[in-house]
Amino acid sequence: MVKLRKMMLNLFGLALICTLLVLSGCGEQTKTLYIFNWTYYTPDSVIQKFEQEYGVDVVYDTFASNEEMFAKLKAGGADYDITFPSGDYVSIMIKEGMLEKIDTSKLKNFSNIDPAVLAQCDFDPGNQYSVPYYLGAAGVAVDKTKVQNYDRSWSIFERKDLANRMIMLDDMREVMGDALKYLGYSVNTVDQREIDAARDLINNVWKPNLLKFDAEAFAKSFASGEVWVAQGYAESIFAEVDKSMWNTVDFFIPKEGGPSYLDSMVILKGSKNKDLALKFVDFIHRPGIYAEFCDYFGFPSTVNIPARALKKGESWYRPEDLLHCELKKDVGPDLEKYNAAWQEIRIGK
Amino acid sequence: MRKQHIGLLYTLPQILWLLVFFAAPLCIIVIYSFLKKGLYGGVEPQFSLEAYTAMANPNIVLVTWRTLKISIIATTLTLLIALPCGYSIARSRNQAIRLFLVIVPFWTNFLIRIYAWIAIMGNEGFLNDILRALHLTTESIQFLYNQTAVILVLVYMYLPYAILPLFSTIDKFDFTLLDAARDLGATKFQSYIHVLLPNIKSGLVTAGLFTFVPIFGAYAVPLLIGGKDSYMLGNIIADQLTKTRNWPLASSISMTVTVLTTGLVFLIAMRKPREQKQVFDVDPAFLQATPDGER
Repeated sequence: MVKLRKMMLNLFGLALICTLLVLSGCGEQTKTLYIFNWTYYTPDSVIQKFEQEYGVDVVYDTFASNEEMFAKLKAGGADYDITFPSGDYVSIMIKEGMLEKIDTSKLKNFSNIDPAVLAQCDFDPGNQYSVPYYLGAAGVAVDKTKVQNYDRSWSIFERKDLANRMIMLDDMREVMGDALKYLGYSVNTVDQREIDAARDLINNVWKPNLLKFDAEAFAKSFASGEVWVAQGYAESIFAEVDKSMWNTVDFFIPKEGGPSYLDSMVILKGSKNKDLALKFVDFIHRPGIYAEFCDYFGFPSTVNIPARALKKGESWYRPEDLLHCELKKDVGPDLEKYNAAWQEIRIGK
Repeated sequence: MRKQHIGLLYTLPQILWLLVFFAAPLCIIVIYSFLKKGLYGGVEPQFSLEAYTAMANPNIVLVTWRTLKISIIATTLTLLIALPCGYSIARSRNQAIRLFLVIVPFWTNFLIRIYAWIAIMGNEGFLNDILRALHLTTESIQFLYNQTAVILVLVYMYLPYAILPLFSTIDKFDFTLLDAARDLGATKFQSYIHVLLPNIKSGLVTAGLFTFVPIFGAYAVPLLIGGKDSYMLGNIIADQLTKTRNWPLASSISMTVTVLTTGLVFLIAMRKPREQKQVFDVDPAFLQATPDGER
């Protein structure tokens, strides 16, 4: 028995020493870049290329909504270097002093960015804190094997014959924005009557036909055939649907338009790897890399001009489809009006 | 003197643990619930009762009521299923294997188990496949995304938490008492109700608490299994924190949940000492009803 215990102790000691060696080795040699990004937003292959080229490690954590990202960063305790907020949150994070300034003159590939996109960056004039990553919009995916005749409009959610076979995101600004646009209002309205009208449309006309509001598993539900019509992000949908089935899916941005988003790369205040973070931002906008990113998700190259020619694959929608869309902006204290309307919708009776 | 010091030393890790991971976070929640909300999340250092008055909102009252209803139904069902399970394990000859089987599901992450339920009960799930294959239905029956599904999965999730304490009390029960009751003329059913149940009350209470308290704060099950009508308090708390940026309201609702559930625990704990006076707890009304085994 004594022998055994001694052996165990020795083994334990050995394990401890090994762990210490490994840990100390980590600290000295490779730098680590901490990225906090949306689920499905940067392909692994791009991350791996960056790791290889610069000899660093990348830790890639994900979030499902701007609010979640913001709340986690606000709560502190996480040492992220880069994150990818949408425009409204870039302005909020600037106001809250959470971002590090970015010297765009140091970025070789900044000139690849479409000036038309830069012109839309009124949340950060002159791009002092943010570099556009991707301009896109959520749309509607339809399973063509189950639904044949339909209008490429938000009115598809009015169809009672598809009741309980349709799903929308559990995302306040997105769904409210869809209804507002459908009614002909701005997605950034602060007019109580317009917000109420959108709420009533969703609550009384759309919701009875919806299976549920879901931002976590909507793509899985669509891929499994659980739902036939899903409002959501193309990249999530096509990541779940098997490649052999892609031709059965129609993804469109409804003709009325909807809220669009411009996600940007920002460097967080207190980042320990500012230079490396800047290198990552520049790396993303290399035309070849940007095209790889777009191809991976079936995105049109909305932000990077030279990448458009390098893209090999098809896109789920065209940059022109975004013409009728409107960029979501921070509505400040008026967000309370949206909160109240959305609570009414979500809590349900 | 020295002995006392050693006692303190032994309990120190536990005290520290409770202070750092229980008392301190609870204090933060209490403080936050009395502060003004920050525009972009967080709090402003300014006293406010807004978070508590906001709870009078009919929507939140409705969800509190719904949460209470779901919790009570799910707990009752769990106990009803756990009781015979615990009993049969206690009376079985291969207890070890049966207990092991109760614990096995814990080896799988609970989110995966939730997704497994989706795979079983979904519109295109196994259950619907079987029903269609048997020609019992042509269209898919929608089992998921309603309160019934939420209750079903909650019962499944917390069943082991009810079986284990029930088993351990039933295991200690002197089964010859049941024979005695039968000898005195009680039917099998009567002997269970009037002799077994009063003696395993503590196990029932523990099992009830172990299921009710976590179900009352459920978040993932109503989110993934629930539909448009299945929002529970846990979901509201998460939404206020992560979506609508109202941290004080999230804190005040959390406080309400904590106070309600600890209140319940205290109420039950206060009642306990009286019970322990009796060695065997038999319903007095029952003793009167069957004098000298007349029946």
